Amino acid sequence: MFRRACLFGLVAAFAAATVLGCGSGERSGKRRIAVIPKGTTHDFWKSVKAGALKAGEEFGVEIVWKGTASEEDKEKQVQLVDSLAGTVDGICLAPIDRTSLVPPVVRAKQSGVATVIFDSGLEDASAIVSYVATDNYKGGQMAGEHLAKLLGGKGNVVLLRYAAGSESTEQREKGFLDAIAKHPGIKVIADNQRAGSDAEEALRTSSSLLQSLRGQIDGVFTVCEPNNKGMLQALENDNQAGKIMFVGFDSDPRFVQALKDGKMHGIVLQDPFHMGYQAVKTMVEHLEGKPVEKVITTGEYLATQENMDDPRMKELLNPPKAD
Amino acid sequence: MNDRRPEPQFDDSDTIGSVLAKKWRYDWRVTVWLFTKTALGPLFIVWALFAVLDAFQQYGGSFAQIRSFQLIVVHTAAVAVPAFGMTIIIIAGGIDLSVGAAMALSATVGAWGFLHGHSPTEAVCLCLATGLAAGILNGSLISSLRVVPFIVTLGTMMIFQGAGRWLAADTPIRPPLASFAPLADFQAPFPTPAWHIFSPGVWIMLLLAVAVSLVLRYTVFGRYVFALGSNEATARLCGINVPLVRISVYALGGLFAGVAGVYQFATLYQGNPMGGVGKELRIIAAVVVGGGSLSGGRGSVLGTLSGAAIMAVIDHGCTTLGIGDMYQDILIGAIIVAAVAVDQYRQRKMAAAV
Repeated sequence: MFRRACLFGLVAAFAAATVLGCGSGERSGKRRIAVIPKGTTHDFWKSVKAGALKAGEEFGVEIVWKGTASEEDKEKQVQLVDSLAGTVDGICLAPIDRTSLVPPVVRAKQSGVATVIFDSGLEDASAIVSYVATDNYKGGQMAGEHLAKLLGGKGNVVLLRYAAGSESTEQREKGFLDAIAKHPGIKVIADNQRAGSDAEEALRTSSSLLQSLRGQIDGVFTVCEPNNKGMLQALENDNQAGKIMFVGFDSDPRFVQALKDGKMHGIVLQDPFHMGYQAVKTMVEHLEGKPVEKVITTGEYLATQENMDDPRMKELLNPPKAD
Repeated sequence: MNDRRPEPQFDDSDTIGSVLAKKWRYDWRVTVWLFTKTALGPLFIVWALFAVLDAFQQYGGSFAQIRSFQLIVVHTAAVAVPAFGMTIIIIAGGIDLSVGAAMALSATVGAWGFLHGHSPTEAVCLCLATGLAAGILNGSLISSLRVVPFIVTLGTMMIFQGAGRWLAADTPIRPPLASFAPLADFQAPFPTPAWHIFSPGVWIMLLLAVAVSLVLRYTVFGRYVFALGSNEATARLCGINVPLVRISVYALGGLFAGVAGVYQFATLYQGNPMGGVGKELRIIAAVVVGGGSLSGGRGSVLGTLSGAAIMAVIDHGCTTLGIGDMYQDILIGAIIVAAVAVDQYRQRKMAAAV
């Protein structure tokens, strides 16, 4: 009889849940906007979160911040977009992959939930409201030009790539290579190494690179935060920090110190705080029925040892973060 | 209960098939058995828990909708299909750590096929063949080298991953949409003629579930699998061709990884050689939560299916409730440990009863 009672309890809970679920299906009050970063662990996304939360406060919307821990789990992000689409009014998404995230965005649109894409683009932009991002190609070009200037127009450089399939870093890599190609004295001696998406793997790849090309490298460009970290650590371990011209992309307190110490010679900066803010703001405007720009760039900057104490640079080098 | 028919007796060694065979006429005892002796019970408890919690949320109510259900089954299918193969392997006393990598490799080979102008049928066959070959390789290595499956498949996991990266030139293979149009909606949670209710992938998953159950229950091969996992020496003495059965078991596991490759391709629209990272543990977890025993001899398709569904429910439920990713990990981890602990307890009780 105990079993029968258990079963009855289960069925009752099931029925109650269904009834309650159907009864309270209506939404009321504040609008909810889901903000989905590529990953949750890197500082960059914490600044995006701070910007998104500020916009949420300013425009009176609730921000649902939810991301995957790994920046490589594409399936998980697809599931996340699908799951959240049922519970929010709008989605701001930084897609891990430019093709895999198209179907869930299209599905969200079909069920009446609009999407603003930020940070990294989608191959098929027809279903999205707006694309809010850094001009990554231009950022890569700036890095290339700066490195060429540092090297005086001649030398051997290395490009450390990020995991394959991310639109934003691919644009940086392309911009960098295009800028370097304009300087016939500079040779790219390694551009086929990928550092995955975490600093540990980047450290391994960087260490091997430095070892195998010992004495031949004059300049290095790394395309994002984990890569910068890995390369910086590898250069320090190898006692080559400061000797090899090192330009990175994206900021972190460690890189600011490295810039001050002359271990890094330039950092291309985005404005993640503004990106998070702008993505939410664009979504709010769309929900209010206002027209929005299809593409919004949030700016790219070059920090060097000389200009790093300017107030604006200081702010970009150490943007506000939210945990 | 006053009729003269004898009361059927069920015990822990029963499976769905045997329960239904003992008791042709469906009555509440079968339902009770399903809820108390299989992972279906915990699945409904978890589901109902999330549904109730969600209903009391300020913006709640979305969890109990059909839309949620459709999403959960699609997520379940992606884990359950390779987990069916893993169930057979685990029942036979083995383990396959390479399943995620084999799945990603199959998806990559399939994507390569689409990109190079093969018809969808050919590309899907390529995908399945890759999984099958991977499984045969695993089985042959384990049988011929006499190295434990844990080590062999740890090695082949990296081999498959490397092979996929080589084939794909280290970047996901993205064939144009037109080349795989018939597969585009294979894993779409909300099918276009609404009466289909579930995506084709989910229906195929259910068919596979029935097929594997029948094979395990009613074929000689199925009995061999249980015999091998329960006691290999006895199985050999009984005249079972152990190497052949073992290779077949891993081949079948590989074939399911190949099918899972189709699912992954249809979800991501690309062949991603790195797409299997971490998936093997989820797949093994589904089997274990569903009552499969890593020491072999025990496991069921219904259990595995419920195990996969429990994890999908937790994933979707936590997202709906706005519970952070980290708590989700902790919850799933706790459930895995609890499931195995309960299973051990029941086995001890059974042993004591005998």
